[in-house]
Amino acid sequence: MQETVAPKALDDIRVLDISTSVGGAWCSRFLADLGADVIAIEPRAGYPVRALAPLAEDGTSIPAMYTLANKRSLSLDVDSTRGRKLFVDLMRRSDVVVESTTPGTLEAWGIDYPRLESRRKGIILASITPHGQSGELAAAPGNDLTAFARSGWASINGLGGREPLNGSAFQASYNAGVAGAAGVLAALHHRMAHPGEGQHVDIAEVEVMASAFAPALLGSQYSGEVRPRKPRIDMTSGPVPVKDGHFALTISRAHFWRDAMNLLGLEDLAEDKRYETSWYRQQHRDEFVNRVQDKMAGWTKMDLFEELAIRRVVAGPVLTMQELSENEHLRERGFWTKPANAPDGATYPGAAFKLGKTPWSLDRRMPRPGEHTLEVLREIAGITEDHLLGLLESGVIGPEEHE
Amino acid sequence: MSGPLEGVRGIVLTQAWAGTYCTSLLAMAGADIVQVEVRKRLDSWRGSYDGPIPAALTSIPTAKHAWNCNALYNSVNLGKRTVTLDLAIPEGMAVFKRLLEHADIVAENFSPRVLGNLGIAYEQMCEIKPDVILASLSAYGHSGPWENVPGIGGTIEPTSGMSALLGYRDGPPLNSGQMYPDAVAGLNGFAAILAALHYRDRTGQGQYVDLSMQEANLAFVGDAALEYQVTGQQRARLGNRHLTFAPHGIFATLPVEDGHEQWVALAAESEAQWAALCEVAGHLEWRDDARWATNAARKANEDDLEAAIAAWAATEHRDDLAARLSAAGVIAAPVLDSHEVAADRQLRERGFIVEVDHPEAGRWPQTGFPVHLGRTPGGVRRPAPLQGQHNLEVLQELLGMSEDEYEALVRLGVSGVGPPD
Repeated sequence: MQETVAPKALDDIRVLDISTSVGGAWCSRFLADLGADVIAIEPRAGYPVRALAPLAEDGTSIPAMYTLANKRSLSLDVDSTRGRKLFVDLMRRSDVVVESTTPGTLEAWGIDYPRLESRRKGIILASITPHGQSGELAAAPGNDLTAFARSGWASINGLGGREPLNGSAFQASYNAGVAGAAGVLAALHHRMAHPGEGQHVDIAEVEVMASAFAPALLGSQYSGEVRPRKPRIDMTSGPVPVKDGHFALTISRAHFWRDAMNLLGLEDLAEDKRYETSWYRQQHRDEFVNRVQDKMAGWTKMDLFEELAIRRVVAGPVLTMQELSENEHLRERGFWTKPANAPDGATYPGAAFKLGKTPWSLDRRMPRPGEHTLEVLREIAGITEDHLLGLLESGVIGPEEHE
Repeated sequence: MSGPLEGVRGIVLTQAWAGTYCTSLLAMAGADIVQVEVRKRLDSWRGSYDGPIPAALTSIPTAKHAWNCNALYNSVNLGKRTVTLDLAIPEGMAVFKRLLEHADIVAENFSPRVLGNLGIAYEQMCEIKPDVILASLSAYGHSGPWENVPGIGGTIEPTSGMSALLGYRDGPPLNSGQMYPDAVAGLNGFAAILAALHYRDRTGQGQYVDLSMQEANLAFVGDAALEYQVTGQQRARLGNRHLTFAPHGIFATLPVEDGHEQWVALAAESEAQWAALCEVAGHLEWRDDARWATNAARKANEDDLEAAIAAWAATEHRDDLAARLSAAGVIAAPVLDSHEVAADRQLRERGFIVEVDHPEAGRWPQTGFPVHLGRTPGGVRRPAPLQGQHNLEVLQELLGMSEDEYEALVRLGVSGVGPPD
């Protein structure tokens, strides 16, 4: 559709991703989407992300389809001596390495930051781990669930009287991935001004989630009270039932209250000035929530949303993925898209943001394990065909054969 | 501690959470962020001029002005300077346009119509500062049928597909405990601006960043979106379970003396972790139980598995249990409450939770910069600013304005401090 190819923000940088986690994969996917040449260096036995459910009918991991798109794949064991030598050859022709090993592992392998830097001045290393490179928990295992537990988020998600609640799927991983990408970009900016000065970017998944927890954390300091989970579900705390699903009517400004109550036919509530302030509504919620929710229950979610939008009242229908895939707004914005090299394949969710001059693009579907092994080693490391064949035959490169 | 963005300046119109978090991250990375605020219409996260002083601050003599003592504002504006300027007054706009000449970055999270109405849409900004990077963080983006539909975190959570996925397995869709989509949007906006900065470093060209909170958050549940596209199925709410691994949950442990609830999160993502968990539990027979012999079996018999773990965890002390599991290589953590996170040893040891002195609110622990950079660390260099704290300082430094000129702006109601006259 585009007549000329738009420039890309990051097409001057090459990234080697030796991470094996969703957080690492999302970091390099972020950079790949903006034009970086990202080479996923997969263990020969397979990338652990490729085992994550849910699976498509043919057994393909959907989280892997999502997080590995836009990358090339090279099969190589970085924890073997010969594999590592090839990795270092590639690293010397790269700008960024992304990794997710337990702190101490790279050192044991002889490819920690000081040693990488001694072979490639200016290299940027992004480490994305559950608890970071230092501190008493550095080596403790963790995942998205423990990041929610340790950051405070689980303690406020869900309902009082029930168990604390994790976020859905890979929230800590995605947050850490974007923070890692930001760290890499900030380091690139510094390197542009100070040639040869790379650095180690250390991202702890728990800290990125705790950073997102900041308002509750400081709020509970100022109030002197621990922030609890919401005591119950009503219109003041989240989505409530409507005719065909659930709907959040989040009242903040005075006119939201007036206009929403008038729309719902609750003129006496609309005209009662006391309800226009949020602290009063919180204290007197029992006086109105049932009446308002009874009225809301007579509406379909999209009718209510459209009528409130006309009145410029903030509100939100709970949308399913089917509804979002059919959503006219997202379609007009071109959100849903297919990888350029797989036009008959699955439709992907698109960009988190639009860059005017250097658009996000989805050029490649998820690579098959090791799909670009020879291409990458030939093109970037300049390895001859004979040598490549030898490496393949001796099991240094290429995916392991499965029966 | 100099940050990687030393020498980069943002003149920003951000407010509430998504925008202010985005630009506070820029400040912690070393950029000089000057936030422009309007006295007539307080940032909603400053609260209101007649709002209450928070309970724990009432004994602090400097805590005089509610709008400078709001935890919401003070938590997401670390590292910035502020000036008050009323852009609806021509003299105020004139000053803003002069500041713009000194901006590498502008960010805002108004409704999409606002910048255009003020006459400072991207193209108009480019006439003043041709290589400016302008980032707009809005509810639904700057195009499409919902462009002007208002939204906040609490309504983007449902419209991005997130609420439908968050909740207990037997319960309705939920919103998070505080408006999580703002944080997702702010972080993505931060990274987007840095990508635009990289392109500007290479080419000298700025650009426009259009971030839709709905899209940024939908991308964060993109695996569930792709699942629907591939399988036609809406993913069910999972509670604390994982689609692949079992066990994976949060379990009650012994309460502390005052009856305060205590919870531990634990998971096994490999057979080795499962074996270690059984050992820590002192239930070696679990390993030999056919129902739980493999991860697939544990997934298939997860109700029984969770019941057994719950019965055992209820006899344990939270921190001791989490520490023993971690030491054995099992994924585990105490569920920390908001006070415990602020006191957490790991986060403090790494310099991520820091004590910040605020000129009115006093000294409190706050979360700092979640990006640790070995050579150019950045970090918290200033507390959140008081309203208008840097009016004269910034206007003098960037525009060479005299005190008399500034006083004239105050008399016009363009700048100044506190409730409008």
